[in-house]
Amino acid sequence: MQSYPSEHREIVSALVDGRFVIYPNPIFVSLKLQEEDYREFFRESYAYELVIDSEIAYLTSTEGTEKRTRDFVLFLSLLCRELDYSGKNFRDAIELGTFDMAETEQLLKQSSKWEILEKTSVANFDDFISTWHRKNVLFRAEGQFKFTKAVKIFFDFAVNVANAKLKEQEAV
Amino acid sequence: MSNLTLSGKDILRFLSTHYEFVQSAFAAGKPHFMIDSDKFLRLIHDYNAKNESKISLYRLTSEVKLCRQLSTGEYKLNRNYIPFLEYLFNDFVLNLPETLKNRYQAVFNHFTALKTETSSFRIVLLTQEIINVVEDFLSDIEGQTQRLLRDTEALKVNVGNHSAFSIRIQRANFWIDEYIIPLNAILDKERADSIVNMIIQLQHYANENRLLSDSYELKLEYEKLYACAVNAKSELDKTLSKLTRELLPLLERIKSDSVILNGFYHFVENIDDPKAYIAQLPHLVRRTKSSVTSKAFAAEAEFYIDQFSYLTPEIMFSEAQEDIEWLPDAAYFKEQLIKEDGVKDFYKWCLTSLEEQTENITLSKFFTLSNLLLDEDLVIEYKDEKRYEIKLADATLLMPKIKVYAKLSK
Repeated sequence: MQSYPSEHREIVSALVDGRFVIYPNPIFVSLKLQEEDYREFFRESYAYELVIDSEIAYLTSTEGTEKRTRDFVLFLSLLCRELDYSGKNFRDAIELGTFDMAETEQLLKQSSKWEILEKTSVANFDDFISTWHRKNVLFRAEGQFKFTKAVKIFFDFAVNVANAKLKEQEAV
Repeated sequence: MSNLTLSGKDILRFLSTHYEFVQSAFAAGKPHFMIDSDKFLRLIHDYNAKNESKISLYRLTSEVKLCRQLSTGEYKLNRNYIPFLEYLFNDFVLNLPETLKNRYQAVFNHFTALKTETSSFRIVLLTQEIINVVEDFLSDIEGQTQRLLRDTEALKVNVGNHSAFSIRIQRANFWIDEYIIPLNAILDKERADSIVNMIIQLQHYANENRLLSDSYELKLEYEKLYACAVNAKSELDKTLSKLTRELLPLLERIKSDSVILNGFYHFVENIDDPKAYIAQLPHLVRRTKSSVTSKAFAAEAEFYIDQFSYLTPEIMFSEAQEDIEWLPDAAYFKEQLIKEDGVKDFYKWCLTSLEEQTENITLSKFFTLSNLLLDEDLVIEYKDEKRYEIKLADATLLMPKIKVYAKLSK
């Protein structure tokens, strides 16, 4: 890398801490401008892959599995399911809405799938929300939380699962 | 006593009295408006069981002629009732866009004939026919759009189990491919063969002729045709806007949302068996406080450093050079002094002796020598008050003249 932007330290510490860097955060712009250099930097220094699109950036690792990510996708899946069952437009709610912590916890506890969730880190709901607040996947304030744009990577994951299943069914 | 022939009022009264039955028969027969014999008889039986006012198969088939039995045994609703009932229940069956295309073809044929027709009588007939077909077309398209909108809304919330997601995706796909896109093509004014384009041409033609026609009667007919075309144009614009700005995005949205829910469903169902949900979860990095190097790099670096590990650490000191000043040897000079057998001017002697030994005579060198005065073996005689200067490298001294000699005992 020939030169570092002035936000270099901030960029590296945010991403290495497992946080999502999201536009319009100014450090996202610096990162995007030196996208290729940073890709190489993270690959060589940490063996991490930098994933960056038009709005979000984050690091992925090939080492081991991350149970917290699994827990989060599980939480999101069941929240979407409950919202859809109650006739709400789940995507608008997730992408634009604000959730009351206590109400959301109650909604999930009423779900027939709570027995799965209660065995995961979601069971300690307050800590769970704080963890993902630190990662910038949601924003927590005064008993409420709101998802950030980072949530779209989990929707993409669901689309990939659905498409893979569809292909599998077609093959049969 | 009932009349022998049924009037329109009798039919309306029947429909009004047995509204629920007609509605259930209508719903059961959709979309082809055919009902199995058993099912139809059961509908009658169930209805009669709940209502005081009874109906009979004979009255249905022979008097009000709501339906007739086919040779295959099924009952088919009377075609004359269907559009009215669809309107009544606000429940339109989707026609394939081909049906709408046929209407386009009919308007096209009549319009082509109209342009070359010279007989006033035929012109009146053709304009009336065009107006009828256009009205039918508008009514069809209005009903279809309403139906699509309502079904789409229903599709959005209609979920019970996971199969509903797949059904939603299939339906949304089907409606988009089979209805919305072809309807859009029919209504797209950019296309030369679209109905909207023809309505525009019709409007221009009628506008011109309502002013230029020879007879008042023809002017009136063209006036009607013009009004019909203007109305049709505005209705079709509204419909097109509903289709492309509301319905299509909504269906696309339902489709993509259902794909997401479907994916999440498979993920949750296979939560303990990651291989079964095929796609890979994003491996987000965990918060790290430790090394800034990758494991591979760390291992390589360790290997490299190990090669040098047999060397014991070597500590190097660098000594600072001290500048030590030469000082005269007092014992040597004492010996010289005694040899002299008395010195008349001691301080001068000190200076001269030092000058013989070194160049740079400083205070410290001078005093080292002059301190011999304190030696017990020497005697000092001091008489003169006068002093004289002795210049040293770092000072100038004013000294008296002192006589020094060794003790007599020696």
